[in-house]
Amino acid sequence: MATFELYRRSTIGMCLTETLDEMVQNGTLSPELAIQVLVQFDKSMTEALETQVKSKVSIKGHLHTYRFCDNVWTFILQDALFKNEDSQENVGRVKIVACDSKLLTQ
Amino acid sequence: MAASTTSQVYIQVIDDVMNKVRDEFVNNGGPGDEVLKELQSIWESKMMQAGAIVGPIERSGAPKPTPGGPITPVHDLNMPYEGTEEYETPTAEMLFPPTPLQTPLQTPLPGTVDNSMYNIPTGPSDYPSAGNEPGANNEIKGGRPGPYMQPPPSPWTNQNQNQNQRAPLDVNVAYVEGRDEAERGASNQPLTQDFFMSSGKRKRDEIASQYNAGGYIPQQDGAGDAASQILEIEVYGGGMSIDAGHSTSKGKMPAQSDRPASQIPQLDGPIPYDDDVLSTPNIYNYGVFNEDYNIANTPAPSEVPASTPAPIAQNEVDEEDDDDEPPLNENDDDDLDDLDQGEDQNTHHLVLAQFDKVTRTKSRWKCTLKDGIMHINNKDILFNKATGEFDF
Repeated sequence: MATFELYRRSTIGMCLTETLDEMVQNGTLSPELAIQVLVQFDKSMTEALETQVKSKVSIKGHLHTYRFCDNVWTFILQDALFKNEDSQENVGRVKIVACDSKLLTQ
Repeated sequence: MAASTTSQVYIQVIDDVMNKVRDEFVNNGGPGDEVLKELQSIWESKMMQAGAIVGPIERSGAPKPTPGGPITPVHDLNMPYEGTEEYETPTAEMLFPPTPLQTPLQTPLPGTVDNSMYNIPTGPSDYPSAGNEPGANNEIKGGRPGPYMQPPPSPWTNQNQNQNQRAPLDVNVAYVEGRDEAERGASNQPLTQDFFMSSGKRKRDEIASQYNAGGYIPQQDGAGDAASQILEIEVYGGGMSIDAGHSTSKGKMPAQSDRPASQIPQLDGPIPYDDDVLSTPNIYNYGVFNEDYNIANTPAPSEVPASTPAPIAQNEVDEEDDDDEPPLNENDDDDLDDLDQGEDQNTHHLVLAQFDKVTRTKSRWKCTLKDGIMHINNKDILFNKATGEFDF
């Protein structure tokens, strides 16, 4: 199963990365084992988002910057409005990083 | 998506990762299951600190009691408690234990006399400086006070001496314990701090009418203070020295009674005018200035004390040579990329997802995203599908 390292930049991914860094520096964990934990996190996070999350969101805003490089779209929005079933959020500046979903199915 | 649902997904991801990597930790000479549990606990604690996991972690796979296991006794809380213990009725000695006797005199410690070059003497001291005399033992020990720190006998302590044979204890002195010898030798501050607390509040009606507003009011209750202490604080070079001068005179003390006749000329800072002394706070003078706050309506001094000259730093570096060389980026006309500027100003709002389709019609962009995580306004929101419409 192919995975993205995209979700490591999320809150849960950053917390895991910091924890693994501390344990590797303390000597309680080997770097190879820490990489294996991160790879497993990529798989588990992708699977959880596919199977357990069912909500829909709409995003509107002013596109300040766009970039497409290495099959990754990067958008920077200004005055963005996020709507979902529960609530809506206004954000002055937000970055969207999106990988190509077709690469996972190959 | 609600925060509770996001927390549940995160907890399931953590459990799934831990279950999948357990073989690598336990088998093949791995670090063991304890390291895996430590990893999980630190990860979850960081998630709680970040606010991604809300509330206590509830797992569906909690260990359940085995059917054949031991049964713990269940006490019915609705039934009255039939205890066999007997409790002793509290007495006055149990509720209010005897307190140590207060002593009215402050006892100095050796080594509290400061021999700094900027200290101005404030008058004779009633106590000998035991730490500075020739032949005296200058070694100061931390911990409990020695016998020389005990106060002299006074008429206040003899009243209850036959009732309670406790050793007198000076409760006005806070002993600083656990300090290193090197730190103690370099410190300018005394090893004790006196905390003067008023023994109670007195109504104005109880004061006799023959006393004037500015006159001396005799003490009516509490332990008497035989010595009043004047603290002089000088600031020089970023440090602070405290000079404690003791005086045995009671009553009203003029503000400038102990100031020496010779004044040090002011070398730095603007000199305030005479009419500014009464109206503006004294923010320019850093010299020693005594004012008795125990006397009502203390008049302002007629003359402003001179400020203490600041010591001249010997190791000042002349930095004028740095202006001779031009800056390295003087001819750099390249502006930063607009995207890089946006990334420098990037706030903590981030969306991580996978895209299915991105299209553009003139200046209107449309995209469809899936399986994403949004971190917006310090909240994590998970989504399965997202549609975006942007104007460029």
